[in-house]
Amino acid sequence: MADHIVKAYDKELEALERSIAEMGGIAEKMVIDAMDALANSDAPLAQFVIACDERLDNLQREIEESAILTIARRQPMAVDLREIIGAIRVAGDLERVGDLAKNIAKRSLKIGDVTRNPHEVVGLKHMNDVATELLKDVLDAYAQRDNDRALAVWERDVELDALEDSVFRDLLTHMMEDPRNISYCAHLLFCSKNIERIGDHATNIAETVHYLVTGHPFPSERPKGSTELTAAEPKA
Amino acid sequence: MSLAETFPPASREKVSIRNLDFYYGASKALKAVTLPLFEKKVTAFIGPSGCGKSTLLRVLNRMYDLYPAQRAEGEVMMNGENLLDPALDLNLLRSRVGMVFQKPTPFPMSIYENIAFAVRLYEKLSRADLDERVETSLKRAALWNEAKDKLKQSGLGLSGGQQQRLCIARSIAIKPEVILFDEPTSALDPIATARIEELIDELTDDYTIAIVTHSMQQAARVSQYTAFMYLGEMIEFDDTKNVFTSPRDKRTQDYITGRFG
Repeated sequence: MADHIVKAYDKELEALERSIAEMGGIAEKMVIDAMDALANSDAPLAQFVIACDERLDNLQREIEESAILTIARRQPMAVDLREIIGAIRVAGDLERVGDLAKNIAKRSLKIGDVTRNPHEVVGLKHMNDVATELLKDVLDAYAQRDNDRALAVWERDVELDALEDSVFRDLLTHMMEDPRNISYCAHLLFCSKNIERIGDHATNIAETVHYLVTGHPFPSERPKGSTELTAAEPKA
Repeated sequence: MSLAETFPPASREKVSIRNLDFYYGASKALKAVTLPLFEKKVTAFIGPSGCGKSTLLRVLNRMYDLYPAQRAEGEVMMNGENLLDPALDLNLLRSRVGMVFQKPTPFPMSIYENIAFAVRLYEKLSRADLDERVETSLKRAALWNEAKDKLKQSGLGLSGGQQQRLCIARSIAIKPEVILFDEPTSALDPIATARIEELIDELTDDYTIAIVTHSMQQAARVSQYTAFMYLGEMIEFDDTKNVFTSPRDKRTQDYITGRFG
């Protein structure tokens, strides 16, 4: 894309993009670290994840402020307008991803190092791997303005939903086997919900990329992996 | 208000411009321009200086006829008539297609006479009817409250924004079907500009409007359809919301985002 006649305009847009990239990097790492902290009962790592969230929140605020300023100052049109609206949306999604990772880290601290069956965490780890991959892919799609890649992420979200179902059944079995597992498994259930939501934010970002690239809102309903309810709370 | 109400579907074509070429002597200023003006809608013409948008406006009420070396070829159909037909009565045409210019052009006469003068050219009204026509025109142009106590004073004594509204009142006093605006607010401050834009909104109840503007934001605010012109060609014509959020042509995108090299 050609440069703007006003160079400062390009600089503002580039700065926005850099901040989004930074947010993406932090959010990705938080998701990975949170799961490692949970799987390995690594309290210092959990503390680190919790501390990272502040930087993410600050970046989101900065992005929003400078996006608003650019709108006021430049009255962006067409692709520039979509670019800025996209940045605001993606920053919001990444901030939420950070919150969800922080929540997993906090739960890992609460659980502490109670004796646990490592098998219970395996399913969660697998979910987390998929979520991390989706997040990474969608951030690449965003950076490259690659609609096809974004659509691929969007379609893969069903995998995560299916995994969540199986994790739910697993944890349920453990709880029925031995009531002493209940408190631990309940925490893990919330973690699986958090990971599933991280996937939802990745699909949100995919939809934003689609809008950014094509200029059209994302069509119709998002795919669902299963019609079965996986928890007391119905799916939105 | 729902989005569908904000952007109603296309209505009837009031004016159909087809394959319009225009020449200033030997130089071709418009090249096979084709587009509709929809009835009771605002169509904005945007594009860099010299792209032909003002020329296009001048064709619509045959302003160019005043200059011997200028000529137009093609069709501009309105109510089944080709406006380019040499046999057309120009006075009648200009009563049906009014024009408001960049700089306000009040006549050096009283506010009342500025409007009455235009009406008398086309109609013979009784004193009472004429008074009423002046009043409704001024009301329609949102100038009545400011002008009603000084109708006998000179139109030149009004502020720039008021003068422009006086010109709009004069245009609508003769009951045209189409009103052309050639950068009507480029000499006005933001408040006066907002008043004119509000007025243009209201005028779409009765009139088909075409506006040339250098302000993209203004085009986005006041129009339902936007035409982007470049080097005498019509590059893109579409719903205004499409043009300003996701234009189809790269040249349109470059222009409206300020990337034109």
